[in-house]
Amino acid sequence: MNRFAFFPGCLIPARHPAMEFAIRHTLPKLGIEIVDLEGASCCPDPIYFKSKDKLSWLSVAARNLTLAEDLGLDIFTNCSGCTATLSETYHLLEDETLRAQVNERLSKIGRTYQATSRVRHIATLVRDVAGYDAVRESVVRPLEGLKVAIHYGCHLLKPSRIMQVDDPNNPTVMENLVTALGATPVRHRNWYLCCGKACQTEQVPDDMMHDLLGTVNEEEADILCMICPTCFGQFDHGQMKVSRKFDEDFHTPPIYYFQLLAFAQGVPYDKLGFERQRFKPECLRRFETAPQPAGDPAHTGAQGKNSA
Amino acid sequence: MSKARRDSDSAGSASTPPADIVRVNFEFRRELARKVEGNLAGFCYQCGACVGDCPSATYGGGFNPREIMLKVLYGLGEELLTEDSILWQCTNCYNCHERCPQDVKPVEVIISLKNMLSDLGIYPDNVDKVIKAFEETGRTTPVNPAVQRQRERFGLPPLPPVPVDEIRQLIEPDNAEPRAGARADADKGGTE
Repeated sequence: MNRFAFFPGCLIPARHPAMEFAIRHTLPKLGIEIVDLEGASCCPDPIYFKSKDKLSWLSVAARNLTLAEDLGLDIFTNCSGCTATLSETYHLLEDETLRAQVNERLSKIGRTYQATSRVRHIATLVRDVAGYDAVRESVVRPLEGLKVAIHYGCHLLKPSRIMQVDDPNNPTVMENLVTALGATPVRHRNWYLCCGKACQTEQVPDDMMHDLLGTVNEEEADILCMICPTCFGQFDHGQMKVSRKFDEDFHTPPIYYFQLLAFAQGVPYDKLGFERQRFKPECLRRFETAPQPAGDPAHTGAQGKNSA
Repeated sequence: MSKARRDSDSAGSASTPPADIVRVNFEFRRELARKVEGNLAGFCYQCGACVGDCPSATYGGGFNPREIMLKVLYGLGEELLTEDSILWQCTNCYNCHERCPQDVKPVEVIISLKNMLSDLGIYPDNVDKVIKAFEETGRTTPVNPAVQRQRERFGLPPLPPVPVDEIRQLIEPDNAEPRAGARADADKGGTE
């Protein structure tokens, strides 16, 4: 079993617990053991607190990394923002002067940052540690015929030299993760656009989302799959807002990849918290009634009565 | 600018310098350089590679990372560090960081400029709100009984409190760090 320290961040455990549930359900099936980190704080976020004081931001991020160092484990994140903060901290603290400054602050709480724990985004953990074949083998409900538009978001890929996840101009990790579920990934023309959540005006993200959702509609995708909880919010309540503002019918349900994986691994639709979304991926229900592979212990036909 | 220069040139009056001449404010640049990666604009040769993929330049009216770097080079702090600063239009997408051939990391320079805004206590309310939530609870997303009930429904353990005292010690400004140019009340504006 491969053991990794789990850095859940703020948004997923406190606003989208269904995503955390899906992660804790799916990773063990891929041979990855989750080790919880005690005493972790916000990463801190790379938008707000970083804009107050970068040195404080680095110091708190370094503290979080030392928690994984204590366990002698690499750390993985489920949020692209947390990955950005922790990866950038790991990168910047290769600078000896900066590391000394940060360690001086950490000494106040009896800690020392040593750069012994690598930072991994959960998508690369699955790709590089488990492998796409393990994902494919874990699937009991192949999502055949499901058209999945993909939104990479920004911080998973960029800055590529620091994130070291994939080619930012032509990434493949999400397409491959979706293909492993038996679904068909769709790359819409505006796939590279930002979700706009961090922009402190309304007009820029609204106009950008309008263009982005327009090309998602052109592809007639069944769902829009993403790997970042901040992007998810933009595509759920944000999509409704943009639909109203422009009086256009945008309606592609967003879904966090690990919930889709959990569903494909046999977790009932009604156990995955989709009822809390503005746009519900009801199209998945057709796979629940599909015949299950014979002798599969994850067969769950009798469940699913607590629908919302 | 070019028209004004032509007019003054054609007038041929060498005695009065053009009114639009830029004098570099080195004090502003020195203060920016004290921020982490705040000195990187010095490598900018104004090629504009950062502009093409910038969502705020594409969709906004007036945000242009190359121009922001130029203003930094000139030290035009008074144009950048305003109540209604254009810096907040940045989406933090990191495309400029990816594209820059000089490793200027324009987004990081912009964030360093925001650190200077923080020293001045000039902050949008919603940014301030998230920062305060972090400083008070160690999290940016509030944890309340409804959240804990949601978690229970998914069989997840309740979220434990964050050791906020440790966080507070880490984010106190170092005495050793010069904070020249910061107004005396700046820290009160951003903390507590």
